[in-house]
Amino acid sequence: MTNNKPKVEGRSDEAEGPDGGWGWVLVGALFVSTSLVFGLMRSLGIFFVEFVQYFEESAQAISWISSTGLAAQQFFSPLGAALCNAYDARVVVMTGGVLAGLGLILASQATCLVHLYLTMGLISGLGWGLIFTPMVATVMAHFTRRRTLVLGLGFSSIGLSSFAFNPLFQLLVEMYAWRGALLILGGLSLNIVACGALIHPQRHSKAPAKVDSASRSSCASVLNRVSSYLELSLLLERPYITYTLAVTLLNVGYFVPYFHLVAHSRQAGFSEYQAAFVMSAAGVTDIFGRVVSGWFSDLRHFRLIHLLTMWTTLAGVFIMLLPVSSLSGSYTALIGISLLYGFCSGALTSLVFAVVPKIVGVERMMGGLGLLQLIESGAGLLGTPMSGLLKDITGNYIASFMVAGSFVILSTLTMATLPHYFSCTDPLPLQRRSLDDKDEGLHSELKLMNSVSSDKNHKGVNDLTDEVTKYPQDCVG
Amino acid sequence: MKLLWAVSALLLSCLRANASTDPNIITYPEEVSNQTSAVLSCNLTEPSFHIKGSHWTHNGKIIEGSKSDVATPYIVHRLDRITYTSSGKYECVFLTDPEVKKTIEVKTLPHVVAYKHSEHGNEKDKGVLVCLSSGYPLPTDWTWFKDGGQTPIINGTTDKYEIKSTPNKTTLVIENLSIEEDIGDYVCSGTNELGTTSDRIHLRVRSRLAALWPFLGIVAEVIILVTIIFIYEKRRKPDEITDGAAPLKTNSNANHKDKNVRQRNSN
Repeated sequence: MTNNKPKVEGRSDEAEGPDGGWGWVLVGALFVSTSLVFGLMRSLGIFFVEFVQYFEESAQAISWISSTGLAAQQFFSPLGAALCNAYDARVVVMTGGVLAGLGLILASQATCLVHLYLTMGLISGLGWGLIFTPMVATVMAHFTRRRTLVLGLGFSSIGLSSFAFNPLFQLLVEMYAWRGALLILGGLSLNIVACGALIHPQRHSKAPAKVDSASRSSCASVLNRVSSYLELSLLLERPYITYTLAVTLLNVGYFVPYFHLVAHSRQAGFSEYQAAFVMSAAGVTDIFGRVVSGWFSDLRHFRLIHLLTMWTTLAGVFIMLLPVSSLSGSYTALIGISLLYGFCSGALTSLVFAVVPKIVGVERMMGGLGLLQLIESGAGLLGTPMSGLLKDITGNYIASFMVAGSFVILSTLTMATLPHYFSCTDPLPLQRRSLDDKDEGLHSELKLMNSVSSDKNHKGVNDLTDEVTKYPQDCVG
Repeated sequence: MKLLWAVSALLLSCLRANASTDPNIITYPEEVSNQTSAVLSCNLTEPSFHIKGSHWTHNGKIIEGSKSDVATPYIVHRLDRITYTSSGKYECVFLTDPEVKKTIEVKTLPHVVAYKHSEHGNEKDKGVLVCLSSGYPLPTDWTWFKDGGQTPIINGTTDKYEIKSTPNKTTLVIENLSIEEDIGDYVCSGTNELGTTSDRIHLRVRSRLAALWPFLGIVAEVIILVTIIFIYEKRRKPDEITDGAAPLKTNSNANHKDKNVRQRNSN
């Protein structure tokens, strides 16, 4: 009656996230669990020296351990998402925590390299896959206005924990030998179970209730359910495909500086310490970039996708400038560009996941994230060997950095082809297409909007749609 | 008699002629052993060829400061402080056509250094101790001693010890570490023709259960945390049903009970 303007922010997916209270507890849980997943993965290098000496294998064979772990984490992400859709996010994350810890505990008893591949690589990787996507999706669901900020805060843990874990792991290895250290790490990873326990149990499964109407566990209906858990229907929709492609291209170039910057600095003539310092400096600005970009995005001055494009373009440009600065021989230029690169790459990390619910809607976000991780994993595996190959062919890293930067810029251009890219408002998220629940889905979306607005008295669903379309969001605020 | 003189003079001159076809480099000293400093010199006798210049090389690499364009048959290279890094094969090279060179060997005691001065191993596991060496000449013999004892550890006498040695690296592998017997200092000694140097490594054996206590502590902490969280939730449950989270699933807010209940934004 009095205030007819709905508080919904644009015709977008903003379902109501309470933006506070228990949400912050979950942010803390995300912080801890992300640091125990990715921070741990990044610091495993300490163990590799020990493994090379103990198992007398080549460094390349040992480095496959972490590649397997990372690949498993990304490969099993859709599985984690599907299980959350089918069952309970809490149970999935807790199981993931148990698996991650179990993998490391078993690894401490390894007697040959294959054991390590199976335990540290496969089992822990499976656990990590079951943890990361559900935690991120759960936290994003709890926040609307501060979504990007909390993601930035959560992901800043990766940088901070890699700082802290490197000396810690070294200490553990000195005191307890690598077996004891892995055992203790397994115990630490079990803390993820406690993080998962903080998620509220869900009362309703996402199982489309239509299955009961079919009332036959036939092959077709089971496949139907599985595909709806995995959100495979997303693969048929152009905005999602476009976005996934863009993120995949981004991943090809994104990791190259992390792997090659130190070697490139040494080749340009700087000392070991100078080269290592460059990486540390980039790591510090990475942390800042994540938090600052998260905070800035939530000020709502610009659409998330525009901000993401800006950060990605800047990151690509700086990657391409990196070889120029080190070739000119100026250490200041190298440090400066690396700092800027670190900031931009951290900034875009916060946004990459936050854009997903804008495209697919909060409901399908879980599956969307899982599929995204799976598809982008291929790019990560492709990018680094390719840049190494370029270096072997050309003899220096200039070509690698140029190609990496150009992939990142290419991903920006791909993002620009998203529908409604140049409009000032976020478009409506995709509706699930399956005929069975199309009406249900629409109905429930509108019911959510109904519940958000303050004084509606017994308004019918149709009236509401008119209300919402009457007040489009404008560009600012 | 005169014939004999003539023949011998002819032979001598032939010999001298032969000798003079190969330019002779006289090096001083011939070899440097265990000295703290030295001056290496090369004297090109009978320079029948034109000398365009000269330089010195160390282990095959040209010493930058020694390049010279002066056509002198006598060159020197000073070594003020001889350490293991400056030992090796020095060559004086005269840029004649063809080049002539001669080698002077600078020998020092071997430089033996442990890869890690403090090693650790797990009980019943194997421990690996490594010593490296550099300098010239590299050790020809390596020996390991335990706790500074006199009897060296012999390779192959027991299953417990295995020694693998190359001129620049030696590895002692101890199987089945035991806390009582194997903790202590191990000394690796490298011997070359000039003498022996050694280094010592301290081996620590951790009991297999050493890491178990912190691990159990952490597991206990996790169990306590999870229990607290579950108890807290059970006590909250009767009070409030909804947490108002944006639904990842449909209908998870209270609206499913009554469609007409409005929910205020908690912001």
